[in-house]
Amino acid sequence: MHHTRKDDDMNGEVDPALKALEERQDEVLRRLYEIKATVEGLAKTVSTPDADLDASTLSRGPAESVLRGTADLDSLLGKDLGALRDIVINASPACPPLCLLVLHALLCQRYQVLSSVHVHSSVSAVPPPLLSCLGPRHIDGYARQHFQLGFTLIWKDVSELQMKFNTQSMCPIEGEANVARFLFRLLGAEPQDPVAATQMDCWIDTAVFQLSEGGSKERAAVLRSLNAALGRSAWLLGQEFSLADIVCACCVLRAGQTTSAPVNVQRWLKSCQNLGHFDCVYPLLQ
Amino acid sequence: MTKENVQGASEEEQQAQSKKALKKQQKEAEKAAKKAEKQAKLASEQQEAEEDDFAMDRYGICPMVQSQQKLDRALVRVQDLTPEKAEQQIWVRARIHTSRAKGKQCFLVLRHQQFTVQALLAVGDRASKQMVKFAANLTKESIIDVEAVVKKVEQKIESCSQQDVELHVERIFVISQSEARLPLQLEDAVRPEGEGDEEGRATVNQDTRLDNRVIDLRTTTSQAIFRLQSGVCQLFRDTLINKGFVEIQTPKIISAASEGGANVFTVSYFKTSAYLAQSPQLYKQMCICADFDKVFCVGPVFRAEDSNTHRHLTEFVGLDIEMAFNYHYHEVIDSITDTMVQIFKGLRDRFQTEIQTVNKQYPSEPFKFLEPTLRLEYKEAVAMLRAAGVEMGDEEDLSTPNEKLLGRLVKEKYDTDFFVLDKYPLAVRPFYTMPDPNNAKYSNSYDMFMRGEEILSGAQRVHDAQLLTERAMHHGIDLEKIKAYIDSFRYGAPPHAGGGIGLERVTMLYLGLHNVRQTSMFPRDPKRLTP
Repeated sequence: MHHTRKDDDMNGEVDPALKALEERQDEVLRRLYEIKATVEGLAKTVSTPDADLDASTLSRGPAESVLRGTADLDSLLGKDLGALRDIVINASPACPPLCLLVLHALLCQRYQVLSSVHVHSSVSAVPPPLLSCLGPRHIDGYARQHFQLGFTLIWKDVSELQMKFNTQSMCPIEGEANVARFLFRLLGAEPQDPVAATQMDCWIDTAVFQLSEGGSKERAAVLRSLNAALGRSAWLLGQEFSLADIVCACCVLRAGQTTSAPVNVQRWLKSCQNLGHFDCVYPLLQ
Repeated sequence: MTKENVQGASEEEQQAQSKKALKKQQKEAEKAAKKAEKQAKLASEQQEAEEDDFAMDRYGICPMVQSQQKLDRALVRVQDLTPEKAEQQIWVRARIHTSRAKGKQCFLVLRHQQFTVQALLAVGDRASKQMVKFAANLTKESIIDVEAVVKKVEQKIESCSQQDVELHVERIFVISQSEARLPLQLEDAVRPEGEGDEEGRATVNQDTRLDNRVIDLRTTTSQAIFRLQSGVCQLFRDTLINKGFVEIQTPKIISAASEGGANVFTVSYFKTSAYLAQSPQLYKQMCICADFDKVFCVGPVFRAEDSNTHRHLTEFVGLDIEMAFNYHYHEVIDSITDTMVQIFKGLRDRFQTEIQTVNKQYPSEPFKFLEPTLRLEYKEAVAMLRAAGVEMGDEEDLSTPNEKLLGRLVKEKYDTDFFVLDKYPLAVRPFYTMPDPNNAKYSNSYDMFMRGEEILSGAQRVHDAQLLTERAMHHGIDLEKIKAYIDSFRYGAPPHAGGGIGLERVTMLYLGLHNVRQTSMFPRDPKRLTP
């Protein structure tokens, strides 16, 4: 909301708005406590010690393929207000968000997506591959209303990747992994089984915190556990390709360890590449 | 009261008066004595001065420069006084910004445009007592020629733009003397807003500034503003010329009002009357019909609106563009937005000194933009405003507060101060606006915004005489009056679109200033016709 700024136009409305804001804060806090309780309950029932547990021994929920999930934007994102639902992503050109580009390709398969790339005035020059990373400009791009979803990537001088969607009711989401989770939900393909869902989150965190940001020892450890998991099944969560595969693969690719990676990881990277969603990533790796 | 009483009283009064008179006389005598003493002292000093001023030919007031001689003397600009020039003997022409005498020394701050340097004059083998006194008594704003040696300083001089050197003056001559009393002090005129209130120091209000514009324009802030404004014009021209545009000149005295008759100035024109052009609109379009394809025009535009706001002037400089396109008017939007982005980039890269100088007095966030420029549609804007709690109809025009709010909403989501709003409702646009083929309620028109304020209004124009006639009739316009305009489209007219920008507004909003008069050199508004 804007009432913290100096605003002569809206003086009269400050009081009720503040009140509404307070009420909303209370509501949010209440919901947070509820969620916390739910998660704690879940943690007790599942009692998974760590991410390295043997996935094959766990029961499977009703799995859904990425390309077969059902999703309805109205139910996922709230009522259509007659405007393009535009997802704005601020990313630093020094660190292109590879996994978000893969997700973008997946979103384009499901929805009519109006993709656009901009350069913010805080960065002076951006390499040409980054300008065309969302593919060629849409041929019907002149009519914004014809699209279901907007995907606006802005190359900007930011310390952490940031997503802005509904600025009125959502705070900006920070971190590539969290944005990836949000985009993946729009595909309606996240695991319904809480164990699988938690495993997926685990792999994502492992990839981001240990593979991308960790030292060489940590990186080697992650590659070993990836190799072990991929020895047991085709994808990280078993038979289904998921966000865990997307994020982990992109982190391995970005770390530049494709050639030195263990066998199973190499085979899995090849499988990822064969799916075709990763095509947009390779031009940015040089 | 009796007569006696009155008399007694008056006698007493007289006595009292005579006592007073006596005292007064005494005092006057004392004063006269002091005066005489002073004069004697002065005279003796003068004598002394005349007697042993060894530096007499090193200072003084130059005879008026009437081009008697052509001196072979290079004058170094203040901004070029850098440590590389250390120990060199040079000549400088500058204004006296401030002068401060301190015993046998005199410190001067010399100013040329927005650059200042400290100069020092000390009694010694080069300068006499009298010379230092002469320098100390020079009036502020006088123009002087100075011969001096450039010296490096150990401690940076924070108050000057040339912080690493100072001048040791050897000769000083007045070229043009300023009157002692200035209508406003330059230091007061550059004091940041708010700072003056805290320290109890004076600031100069806008009207005083404008009344004494010549002096106000000398401030570092004004110097920077108008240098940057010149940059806007130059970047505009350069970019468009590179894109293959042709610069045209259009008449400003016209026979009929172009956009409704209410807000035009009428001038008497021999036996009839004429109007001052509100925009070169009709002429730009005629040039398109005459196969010039891409034209632009920089010139004065007149609006007889009696609005006294921070962003309205009655005469301003319009930067107008008109361009024929192939299939879609977005070709024109892309061309205009790219021009604007080139201007913003050019200013960011080439005018950083000026931007920072203005920021010292009027702090503002740096201007942010996206490349390519963000384009939103009117419907989206309405949805954004509604989500923020604004109640408005689908085809309602944006009010000024709503424009500002929209600017803030867009800034929050996209972090840009510049964007295009496309597809305005047809009902709120002029008759020559092309309707949207997919939805008759909307039009192929657009506005561009900087920091939430409109700077450009444009559209695809109707290039078909028949549709133009229909639209004019729908707006209740007398067809006879615009016959010549409509006729120009009868002999084959290419599809075209364009727009016009106000130079002053662009400068104001780029720098984040609050009043368009700050970016107009000699502003004209309903209440100001001078200077």
